[in-house]
Amino acid sequence: MTDIASFGPLAAVLVSAVAVGPILLSGGRPNLRESWTAVAALVKFGIVASMVPGVLRGDTYVTDLGAFLPGARFALEADALGILFALLASFLWIITSSYSVGYMRGLDEHSQTRYFAAFAASLSAAVGVAFASNLLVLFVFYELLTVATYPLVAHDETDEARAAGRKYLAYTFSGGVAVLAGTALVYWLTGTVTFTPGGIAGLGGADPTVARLAFALLAGGFGVKAALMPLHSWLPDAMVAPTPVSALLHAVAVVKSGVFGIARLVLDVFGPDAVSELGVGLPLAAVAAFTLLVASVIALRQDNLKRRLAFSTVSQLSYIVLGLAVLDPTALVGGLLHIPAHAFMKITLFFAAGAIHVETHTDDISGMAGIGRRLPLTMTAFAVAAAGMAGVPLVAGFVSKYFLLIGAISVERTLLAVALLVSGVLNVAYFWPVVYTAFFESAEDSDRKPLIEGPLGGRFPWGADAAGDADPGPVADGGAEGGRAAAATAAAGDGRGHDADDADHTDAHGHGHAAGGWERRGWTGGESTWFMLGPILAVALGSVVLGVVPDGAVFLRIVRLVVSGVTGVSV
Amino acid sequence: MSDLPALVVVVPILGALVSLLSGIRWDRGGWYVAAATLAVQVGLAVSLAADAFAGEPGSYAVGGFTPPFGIELLVDGLSASMVVLVAVVALGVLAYARTAGPRSPRFFATYLLLVSGLSGMSITGDAFNMYVFLEIVGLTAYALVASGEGGRPAVAALKYLLVGTFGASLYLLGVGYAYIATGTLNMADLASELAAVGYASPLVRASFAFVVVGLFVKVAMFPLHTWQPGAYAGAPDSVSALIASLVSTVSAYALVRIVLTVFTPEFLEAVSFARPLLAATAAVSIVLGSLLAVAQTEIERMLAYSSVSQFGLVVAALSVSNAAALVGLAVHLVGHAVMKGGLFLASGLVSTGADARTVADFDGLGSRMPVAAASFGALALGMVGVPPLVGFFGKWYVVLGALEAGAWGLTAVILLSTLLTLAYFARLLERMFFRETPEPASGAAVADGAGAPDLAGDGAGDTVPGAADLSTGMYAAVVAAALLAVGLGAAVPAYESALAPTIEVFLS
Repeated sequence: MTDIASFGPLAAVLVSAVAVGPILLSGGRPNLRESWTAVAALVKFGIVASMVPGVLRGDTYVTDLGAFLPGARFALEADALGILFALLASFLWIITSSYSVGYMRGLDEHSQTRYFAAFAASLSAAVGVAFASNLLVLFVFYELLTVATYPLVAHDETDEARAAGRKYLAYTFSGGVAVLAGTALVYWLTGTVTFTPGGIAGLGGADPTVARLAFALLAGGFGVKAALMPLHSWLPDAMVAPTPVSALLHAVAVVKSGVFGIARLVLDVFGPDAVSELGVGLPLAAVAAFTLLVASVIALRQDNLKRRLAFSTVSQLSYIVLGLAVLDPTALVGGLLHIPAHAFMKITLFFAAGAIHVETHTDDISGMAGIGRRLPLTMTAFAVAAAGMAGVPLVAGFVSKYFLLIGAISVERTLLAVALLVSGVLNVAYFWPVVYTAFFESAEDSDRKPLIEGPLGGRFPWGADAAGDADPGPVADGGAEGGRAAAATAAAGDGRGHDADDADHTDAHGHGHAAGGWERRGWTGGESTWFMLGPILAVALGSVVLGVVPDGAVFLRIVRLVVSGVTGVSV
Repeated sequence: MSDLPALVVVVPILGALVSLLSGIRWDRGGWYVAAATLAVQVGLAVSLAADAFAGEPGSYAVGGFTPPFGIELLVDGLSASMVVLVAVVALGVLAYARTAGPRSPRFFATYLLLVSGLSGMSITGDAFNMYVFLEIVGLTAYALVASGEGGRPAVAALKYLLVGTFGASLYLLGVGYAYIATGTLNMADLASELAAVGYASPLVRASFAFVVVGLFVKVAMFPLHTWQPGAYAGAPDSVSALIASLVSTVSAYALVRIVLTVFTPEFLEAVSFARPLLAATAAVSIVLGSLLAVAQTEIERMLAYSSVSQFGLVVAALSVSNAAALVGLAVHLVGHAVMKGGLFLASGLVSTGADARTVADFDGLGSRMPVAAASFGALALGMVGVPPLVGFFGKWYVVLGALEAGAWGLTAVILLSTLLTLAYFARLLERMFFRETPEPASGAAVADGAGAPDLAGDGAGDTVPGAADLSTGMYAAVVAAALLAVGLGAAVPAYESALAPTIEVFLS
């Protein structure tokens, strides 16, 4: 392990921050503006990728900008864990940029300049989080990420978007305060906040109550962005943002900066030994297990596709946290590998959801019957990624979940292993209906969706909702669109505490049903623009590659390096 | 030691005289005299600070009368920081005031007298002399507040005068008690004499209470803040920026100087009510100041209550008074002065350019006045304490200090103050950038195309009805404040080490 002084980490952070200027200035010429984004994305990825071979050899690239605050220098450091996150974020940014162009122009969105500028700034902050060499620098970029992504959440400028933006700021800044408090406690206990593989010396021997408090504050603070329950509620609301934002930021960059913070916390601040000595791993694992189960159950009842995906994200992020909290080397590999694996799969799913929205203005799963005819390639990619989410072999999700499962069993946390398996089943349960609806149903011939439409608990006979006093609802009027709409209205109006979002998502665009169902488009790309189709297929392909040859893709090698560096055990 | 300490007080007084005299022949001369004087003042202040940071803290005997009998001027890292801050902020606000006015020579003469008083407060080493400068500051500030047009500034100034004089009188009373107890007024001398009298003496304790409460009025700690919102909202924009940025800041400095140099940390240790008095006032100010700020609809009143809350942080640091907390205190005093001054200037810019004085008026400002809105946004984020803006640094050091002192409750309040600050600034950010400008009720407010060309330079497309009234200097002052808020953080490590000898003296 050698430290190499290099401008690489700094350059990787700054590239997209510098690009913000030209992007803002060329607002009047969209093609020029988008080429700045493209250039910045490619250069950023190039810089990060150029450091990968060195990191795999065991080197660390360091940019030291001098003193910052007591106990911390303002240094950026590309170590194995950092490069994992940076490589992922910068690679997916290239793809998302192309998709953004197709999406934003396809919808003729307003304020595109602000959108692309904020996007570039967000990526700077995300890579800054990845390369931070201590808790304070991490905190700086963590807060900047909040600020940079706020304009993306509130982009729509509707009441709903502004409310989501407020909620986002309130949640994430509260998390930031907790992180700051935890950081101050760590500094107070040890006199340093610099990341050290295996943990900062002295934290294990410090006053255990204060050390536990510091851990709780830091885990809670990062847990806001990692959407650990009960701190997750900003994420489903933030789905009001344009879909590329949901895809890259709310499935990869932002939420994973939270997960990444927890990884730094467990691996490089406290270290696995101190975490197990203090006994804080198990509570964290319990929260994660709770989150991954409950979020999956909630996802079952979401009719809005993006909200369903958001709850799926909440659930899947907890896989990673669970892997980190179990502290077994194998589980660590599984958890860390799930960062890229989930990223590729979830971004595919979001891209698909966005393509559906742009092409057909359909947001609700109940309106998607037969949509596979209209968007065959998109929905196929969706199906592949969904299978991966559920842990089907040959797709990325299988490999990471396999490691997680082995890890959980080998430390004899059987309950956690069971939670993982149950969640896999739930994954199938909430993704399969989407695939089924898209390919095996049509507007005239579709089945009931008791989970979504029925009252909680599944009361029978169908539709005769005893509590629906105003409107008893049509009885047993299965497939007809009208019947379902009425049932939905009844469910929303019956005052029995349903989340209105669950049942009644009347979207402003209206459903794009043609009279005779979806028109059939071929398999050659007639369904959408290649600006969007290309990215969808690329990330779907990526998730398969990660699943088929995990060792060939660089991520698993980096993950193994991280884990052996921290625990001394090669997995 | 050179004559620099005396010069930073005398030069603005001379400038004030020249400014007044120039008004006899030349109506617009006041501004130019003030600009020249303040340029010289910045030079003097910077060289004074260079001396102070290079060598040991120094002292200067006014008129050759040796302390403790004569008046001593005291130059150390903190007082030099204040002198530089006063000079630089005054020059920046002056750039704004050239077009924004008031433009009379009398105004600029008063302005320079205020600068003189503030510089004097910053470097005096004599408790009674501090009162004299406090009164100079007070009287000039009342006059400046009243210089606006209409009845509202006059009423605000009267209220300010009554409450401010009350505070100054309490201070004088406290100094009198100390004088009775010890027979001296020199700060260093008082410190040793008070210790000799004994901290248990009721006279000494009463003196502390009077001085501290008197200065609380000047700093505007809750519940003694009531003069502040009216004064800031009623005064002309350039005046509210100047006094919001400097008067409370230098008063807070005076509080620090009196508590640490005259009464010393040993007093805080020995007297059981001293620290709780400071800490409780600080905590209450932080929380209630923020809540009151949230409740305001008028921007300048909101910013005034924000000051109540932010100075709570400073007093919190004083109540802890260890090395980390004092670094935080100094950083926050300087950082807050820059940010709050910038915010007042920006709100002045917005009220001139877009006639936006209330929270609701900020709707869609981001598209009407992008430069002003962006600067306001950056300054607001700095106040919230988003790193790496300067607001974060002060807060971090104060938190560290509070933790080291084991003041858990105070630590929690300081950390939560981030969210409280966010509560009143986030809504403005949202309105500026994520709401549409409401349709004007009549056709009267249609953008004046002829106004736009006047904005050559940094106006950058702010096309608004009042654009003709906006000058480059106004924009420059606002943008400079925003850039300082972003950039000052980089200087904090160097500032910390430069301040170390001063803090050592404070704590010894």
